[in-house]
Amino acid sequence: MNKQELINFELKVKEAYEAGKIKAPVHLSGNNEDQLIEIFKKVNEDDWVFTGWRNHYHALLHGFDPEELFSLIVEGRSMSINSSERRFYSSSIVAGSIPLALGVAQSIKLKEESNKVWCFIGDMTFETGVFHECYKYSRNFNLPLEFVVEDNNMSTNTPTDETWNKKSKIPDDVHYYKYERNFPHHGTGSWVLF
Amino acid sequence: MKYIEELIRSMEYLAKDERTIFLGQSVKYSGNAIYNTLKSINDSKKIETPVFEEVQMGLSTGLALNGFIPITCYPRFDFLILACNQLVNHLDKMEYMSKGKMKPRVIIRTSIGAKEPLDGGPQHTSDYTEAFKKMLTNVKVVSLGEPEDIFPAFDEALNGKDFHVSMLIENGAFYNDK
Repeated sequence: MNKQELINFELKVKEAYEAGKIKAPVHLSGNNEDQLIEIFKKVNEDDWVFTGWRNHYHALLHGFDPEELFSLIVEGRSMSINSSERRFYSSSIVAGSIPLALGVAQSIKLKEESNKVWCFIGDMTFETGVFHECYKYSRNFNLPLEFVVEDNNMSTNTPTDETWNKKSKIPDDVHYYKYERNFPHHGTGSWVLF
Repeated sequence: MKYIEELIRSMEYLAKDERTIFLGQSVKYSGNAIYNTLKSINDSKKIETPVFEEVQMGLSTGLALNGFIPITCYPRFDFLILACNQLVNHLDKMEYMSKGKMKPRVIIRTSIGAKEPLDGGPQHTSDYTEAFKKMLTNVKVVSLGEPEDIFPAFDEALNGKDFHVSMLIENGAFYNDK
C-alpha cells in the first residue's frame, strides 16, 4: 500500500466516525507514512507484528485487506485489531504487547524457525519497566525480536519528556523515528454526537 | 496416592506431550514446593525465568500463540498478583479480541502458602481464588483440594475443549497433610 492509499484509508475512517457510524474510539495514524513504509519493507509476510491502539497503518502494511480492516473498525474493534492468520496482535494497554512479542520470539528460537517478531511501541512505552525487562531478556538470549519506537512525545495528551524530566537514550539496535501527530489521540477533533 | 505424588504424576504426564514447556522461578532450581514436583522432569523441558511475573505471563502466552503449551508456575498466589495485567487484560480477553481466532492454551500453576509449621504471613499465604473467579471470564479456575482432584484437572487443562486457559490452585499445607 502506498502513502496516498494509507492517508485515504484513514480519511475514510474519519468520515465514517464523524457520521456516527463507528461507536467506539478510533486512534488515527498520520504523518508517519514514509517512515512506516520504509520499515515495513523489512517486515516479511510470515513475521509477527505486535503493536498498540494506533494500529491501522501497521495492519494495512502487514497485509490486511483494507475492506476487512474497515469492517472491523466499523464494528468497534479498532483498539484490538488481531489476526492469527496474519500474525498480528494489538493491545490497548501501554506496554501490553511487549511480553507477548517476547514469548513468540522465544518460541521461534526454540523451534528454530527463521521468521522474526516486530514490536511497535510509543515513546512513553519505551520508558516503562516492562520494555526494559523485555529488551534485556531478548538481547541476552539473542531472540529474533525487533523493536520500533514511534516517538511523538505524547501519551494521550501528556508530554513524555515532561513526566520523566528527560527521555532515555534509544539503543542502537532499536529502530526509531520521530513524528508529529496530525490527528488527536483518539477521534478526529470533531465532537461526534451519537 | 498422596497429594504430592499426584502432582508429580500429573507433571510427568504433561511432560510427555512434546508441546509442553515448564517455566517460572524454581522450576530448575530448588526454592519452593512446586520445584519438588518437577525434579523428575528433564531440564530441556524447563525455562528458569528471572523474577518478572508480568512478563512471565505474557511470555507464556506468546509461547502458546506459536504452538507451545506452557505450564507457567507462580510459587505463591501472592506473586501471581503481579501478573494480573497480562492475565486479566490480555490472556483472558484474547479470544474475544480476536473474534475467537486466538485461543492460546496456557496452564497456570499456583499455590496458597501454608501456615504450618511456619506461617509465611500476609504476603506469602493469601488465597485469591474467589477474586480471580470474579475477574476472569475465559479462564477455568480450579482448586486442587484433594489428591484425586489433581490428575483429572491437569488432564483437562491439557486436552479440554471448553477452556484454553486453566488456573490450578494448590495448597501448600496439603503437601504434608494429604
